[in-house]
Amino acid sequence: MSSNGEVKFLTHEVGSLAKPPWLVKTSAGKPLQDSDIEHARKWGEKVGVEDYEQLIELLQADERDPDEVARWSSRYCMRLQESAGVDWIWDGEQQRSEMYAWAIAHSKGFEDRGTVRSFDNKYYSKSAATGPVSLGEPYHNDEFSFLKSAAKHDLKIPITGAYTLAVWSYDEHHLPKEGRLGGGLSRKDEVEARRDLALDIARNIIRPNLEALIALGATWIQIDEPGASTEEDELDVFVESFNVSVEGLEGCTFSTHLCFSDYNLFFPAIEGMSGCRQYCVGFANYDSTELGTSGADRPGYEVISKWRDLPYDPILGLGVNDIHTDFVEPPELVRDRILYAVDVFGDPARIHVCPDCGLRTRSWDVAYEKLRSMVEGTRLAEQALNHSHAASS
Amino acid sequence: MKAFIPGLYPRSEALVQATRDFDRGRTTQEAVDEQVERDQAELVSVQQQAGLDLLADGMLRWQDVFRPFVDAAEGLETGALTRFLDTNTFYRAPSASTATPTLAAPVGERYIAPLPGPRLVTLPSPFALSHGSGLTPSAVAQGVLKPQIEALDAELVVLEEPFLAREDAPDIAGLSGALEQLSGGPKLALWLTFGDAQPAFDAGLADVPVDAIGVDFYATKANAVPEGFDKMILAGVLDARSSALEEPREIAAFVGQLEARGVTEIALVPNGDLQYVSERIAREKVARLGKAKTATTEAAA
Repeated sequence: MSSNGEVKFLTHEVGSLAKPPWLVKTSAGKPLQDSDIEHARKWGEKVGVEDYEQLIELLQADERDPDEVARWSSRYCMRLQESAGVDWIWDGEQQRSEMYAWAIAHSKGFEDRGTVRSFDNKYYSKSAATGPVSLGEPYHNDEFSFLKSAAKHDLKIPITGAYTLAVWSYDEHHLPKEGRLGGGLSRKDEVEARRDLALDIARNIIRPNLEALIALGATWIQIDEPGASTEEDELDVFVESFNVSVEGLEGCTFSTHLCFSDYNLFFPAIEGMSGCRQYCVGFANYDSTELGTSGADRPGYEVISKWRDLPYDPILGLGVNDIHTDFVEPPELVRDRILYAVDVFGDPARIHVCPDCGLRTRSWDVAYEKLRSMVEGTRLAEQALNHSHAASS
Repeated sequence: MKAFIPGLYPRSEALVQATRDFDRGRTTQEAVDEQVERDQAELVSVQQQAGLDLLADGMLRWQDVFRPFVDAAEGLETGALTRFLDTNTFYRAPSASTATPTLAAPVGERYIAPLPGPRLVTLPSPFALSHGSGLTPSAVAQGVLKPQIEALDAELVVLEEPFLAREDAPDIAGLSGALEQLSGGPKLALWLTFGDAQPAFDAGLADVPVDAIGVDFYATKANAVPEGFDKMILAGVLDARSSALEEPREIAAFVGQLEARGVTEIALVPNGDLQYVSERIAREKVARLGKAKTATTEAAA
């Protein structure tokens, strides 16, 4: 809501963006081609990256510092979002290897166990907890300090949450190595092992990171939990690990990101997660692409009333862009998804607008158009609501 | 005692990289195909060295256990990206545009590779393929799976079934009717992956018209198998969701529990697709499966 009483939605990105070819190849120690240089030039001009010619010179040099190239990539991604009109931005994971791998690589007590499929030709590295887990040193500080110095819009910082790190890892520390055949390990035992690992991660890895980021000036930290609903009977472990991570920490808003789940599973468990002030959730993946603002028109959003009814009135970050398709949602479709959500909530102040998830599986061209359309659709929704309000007063 | 590995096998790090590069336009389909061939040859070698009884192709090109059939069938479409059970792996849930989907043409060698020896072929079970689509298991059995099985040359067709064990009230009668339509060709196994088979056994699973039934024995107690069970048991004794490596002697001891219940035909298998561990771990697990078979056979002798 704006200061003049008109409806104004906050828009934000969710997480990752694709890494440009000039960063990928530099990180891999591979030579660049003319098309890579042209990519840097084109996007530098398109989204208004200051002094991007310095990057061009760097990319044309015989030797390139991958960290320096990654910082340039961060600048590009922030400008990409800013020029698309997104209010709260981040760099889309340009300086991290990946949301799981980065956290695990900077923590103690894990060992790499290779690559596992996420879906189709997408994969993730998976490690095993093999001993007590702990933090080497806070692993987002350098990134945050740099982004804070370079961002023109408000800055949010995501951090992978404790439960997701636990459930995406094998556990060779808490689970017995033998005696499991023939149903020898009860489900209760398995859940307790997960609780032990998740709470160890929350206390010893996530919380120290959060404290460090707040000390550096972070005001909005998004705790990413895409794995939260992996195990239906472990949702209380997810909630407990979130609470242990944030309890008593002040000066910062904590939110969480959930995606690609049966969201009904989260209720009533998250009634106990009052430290979470915003839930950023993907819905567009499940929705129709036809226009319309009725419940029948918006099947992907049927579940949102459950967030409306939570006792601590969190904001819902409404996913309006499907990140698994190149289809660019027309602004009118974004508008209708927002209008439906406002109708359900009865309070536009409890709605933010965002994509379903990080856009890293899309090209920058597609991601940019999706974000622009998201912002344009948001403006259309604001116009519709403000016009309606003006007409009725 | 037999041993084999139905289901999706993990891609090697080299194939992972090749498919990533292909998606990003950095390599060609031909280069990916060549790496698939190398992975395929390596997998055959791993199985032969382990002394497995039937060869499997590992389904290395399959994006999930449904996709080739969804692509090949008229009336089936790829739906929303959906979490596979309680894993961090997702699949495109099949959706239906007709009540009677039909296979336009059997899925060919690109997805079901010829192998240098007796082989098994894994297909989705009719219940799994119809799950969540609004279709009946009989409709997909008749229109999609039956023509595929009729076109197959295999010692054993393993029908992978990840959902039935998680049903509160499994419809065994409906499944039996669908399986009946698939009989008459190669031997059939119904492989209940990643779940406790006890409720399904309680509902009559032992009587479904197949030659073998697969059970996840990390979630199922040995005494869930009815006394006097007269089919082959595909005993899920490798935990495909754990990086921990199994001890062959522990597997051999567990087999003794099954035999004590009067089960006479046993094949050692994973409790689900091995793609939930990396290729290097899967390779070691397969080697241990072979050692477990040897240990079990020696113990019996």
